[in-house]
Amino acid sequence: MAVFTAEVFQNEFLPAGGTDVHAIVTVTGSDVGSARTASGGVAEIIMIDTSGSMNGRNLDAAKHAAQVAVDQIVDGTWFAIIGGSHVAQRLFPYPNAPRDMVQMEPAARAEAKRAITTLLPSGGTAMSTWLALADRLFATVPHASQRHAILLTDGKNESEPRAALSAVVRQGTGHFQCDARGVGASWQVDELREISTALLGTVDLIASPEDIAADFQALVQQSMSKGVADAELRVWAPQGAQVLFVRQVSPTVEELTARRTEVNPLTGAYPTGSWGDESRDYHVAVRVASKPVGTEQLAARVQLAVGGQVLTSGLVKARWSDDDALTARLSPEVAHYTGQAELASVIQEGLAAKAAGDEATATVKLGRAVQLAQQTGNEEATSRLRRVVEIDDPDQGTVRLRRNTDRLDEMALDTASTKTTRVRR
Amino acid sequence: MSGAPVCASCGAAASADALFCEVCGARLASEPAGPADAPPATPVTPTGAVPAPAPADVPGGPGACRACGGTIAADGYCELCGQPAASARDHWSERPAPHVGGVCDRGVRHHRNEDAMALAAHGEFAALVVCDGVSTARDSDVASLAATRAALDVLLTGAPQGAAPVSGPTPARAGAWSALVRAAAVAGDDAIRTTMSGAPADGAGPGAPDDEPSCTFVAAVLDGDTLVVGWLGDSRAYWLPDAGPAEQLTADDSWAGELMLQGVPRATAETSPQAHAITRWLGPDAHDVVARTTATVVDEPGWVLVCSDGLWNYCSPAEDLSRLLRAAADRVGTAPDALAGALVTWANEQGGRDNVTVALARVDAAVAARPGDGSSDSLVAGTAVTNPPTKD
Repeated sequence: MAVFTAEVFQNEFLPAGGTDVHAIVTVTGSDVGSARTASGGVAEIIMIDTSGSMNGRNLDAAKHAAQVAVDQIVDGTWFAIIGGSHVAQRLFPYPNAPRDMVQMEPAARAEAKRAITTLLPSGGTAMSTWLALADRLFATVPHASQRHAILLTDGKNESEPRAALSAVVRQGTGHFQCDARGVGASWQVDELREISTALLGTVDLIASPEDIAADFQALVQQSMSKGVADAELRVWAPQGAQVLFVRQVSPTVEELTARRTEVNPLTGAYPTGSWGDESRDYHVAVRVASKPVGTEQLAARVQLAVGGQVLTSGLVKARWSDDDALTARLSPEVAHYTGQAELASVIQEGLAAKAAGDEATATVKLGRAVQLAQQTGNEEATSRLRRVVEIDDPDQGTVRLRRNTDRLDEMALDTASTKTTRVRR
Repeated sequence: MSGAPVCASCGAAASADALFCEVCGARLASEPAGPADAPPATPVTPTGAVPAPAPADVPGGPGACRACGGTIAADGYCELCGQPAASARDHWSERPAPHVGGVCDRGVRHHRNEDAMALAAHGEFAALVVCDGVSTARDSDVASLAATRAALDVLLTGAPQGAAPVSGPTPARAGAWSALVRAAAVAGDDAIRTTMSGAPADGAGPGAPDDEPSCTFVAAVLDGDTLVVGWLGDSRAYWLPDAGPAEQLTADDSWAGELMLQGVPRATAETSPQAHAITRWLGPDAHDVVARTTATVVDEPGWVLVCSDGLWNYCSPAEDLSRLLRAAADRVGTAPDALAGALVTWANEQGGRDNVTVALARVDAAVAARPGDGSSDSLVAGTAVTNPPTKD
């Protein structure tokens, strides 16, 4: 039986007149089990880009990777393979098969791998059609509570307007989770990020085709290790209070504020997708009415709920005090993740400014990113930043943009921008 | 309460012999108070585990939030407004008879309720005891509760149902009650010493003069038309008749009180820097536990009000207090517990800088109109202490 715990890190003391309460809540799942034990079953779809641009090493590597992934899908899992170009095609089950998805077993595995070898590259790229097909296939197995997809592309979504992709992503939100992967340097980070963010997955860059197989293997293994299909983070705030924001801050920064659905007038639910044995940190900020010095009150209950049942609850408190020694202290966890969230946004803004030719803004933003990465001890971010800017003074954030940077380095910095480090405790 | 005790602060189940909650660390309330006219035989144990009274008055029943009336969740906070559940020790109310009631409350600024009260009433008899624990001393919350209950037990021996009922004409009864009130103060003092012996000092070693648990003491006994009051420290008793002039019956054993005895005006004395340092108290380091007493014949309808400084800090003169009480009665009616609650709420609205306790006994027209066999006299026992040691 899955066990969840919640731990709250905050400075609960507010000065007289103080209203804003910040807390980091660490939610940890243990004994979660695996997909095999998930109730209702598991469904997995692999989407491979088969557009003309994939021809050559990329497609060969993608075919191999899809075969490796199929090997990782455990027996009993409902699955399908989709080939995508400007249109989407169901590769397996074969287009003439009566069922849209089948359960994995040895014969199906062998047949699926054979189907993958028949892939031929042609046409453009319209990812909305791939996602729409995946959504339709998942809908045929309504009992499978845990639905996961992998999308692999090598290029820009060039055969349709961006709005078409956004519309389908919106439609599929909440139906399934999707990890998006781009191979090479010709794809658009923001397009895949839009997909993975909405569909509660991750976005990553695979620099070289040989690495696709290992990545797919890890993704499917990860998906198979999720024993809890669909959990939601619930945030209760007292009557009259305002939830300023709810943000996942570890392992990656994901804004959840706008994704609230109402449980009751005081409680909102935010999607978190499936859970394995893992730990995630959330930054919750609530504004409450100021109370007299000496008063204590609960500012938020932060809970993890599965199937409508609350499994753990963390209490965020507010206590008004006139002791400056208590109220002036900043919680190290809150400070750390506030910096990491800003780091993610200044990296993205800096790279966008650089791409638009606004070097002044890019220099300021990336300089600030260097400073934040230094302050929060995010060495990975520092080393990625170093490939894009010359660092003169990391403490002051003084940098110069590098000339002739490798586009892959910029993309790596962009895709990894939301990855955070944990607080050193 | 039956079966396993439950933490009043967080709602977690606790083992029967635990003193503190395993979950939240709050001191456990091991049993509710019995009916006030039949106090528990051994309310205080030497282990320092003092049973707190059950919160009987919470609007909306037990488990309701005191601030908004919402439901208190299992985590100890209101489901609506997030206020913490009041622990039974932090706030309770009693109404032993229709004409007697009181509320004892933590206030706003203090983290612990070191006030305590014990009330009893039977027919025309009423006894009100209030003790205010000294907040600079350790475990004063335990001390004050132990003292009130022990003192009330002594007073009850003279009650109509007691072991040796006080009887006779008014002067005889006034004398007998004065003696009982002094005995009650001594019993309260003994209870503190008994309760505290063996209790470990937190942090500071024993013997530090300001570290001994201690509390003030005030008791009022209303026996027909005879009102006897005794006190040590700065907790007060007032006589607030409906029509006649209001009167403060006690004279604070405090720095301010000493100043006033020397002729310093009340307003100046009560705002002097050391105004609240008390000069007499109950507890192991008390040098004098003889309560000063005063007896009065109440010959008109009105209220006997006994309170800690948490109330009178905001409304010291008797006439002001009388007006405040009448205004509160216009709002909430004359049920004594509701009226006491209204005064406590008012004190908290003024800032609630200290624990607040208010106990009330109603003298109705029938009792007051009965021909008394003594004139409205006032006897004061005890002597003023000059240059005494003080406690804050």
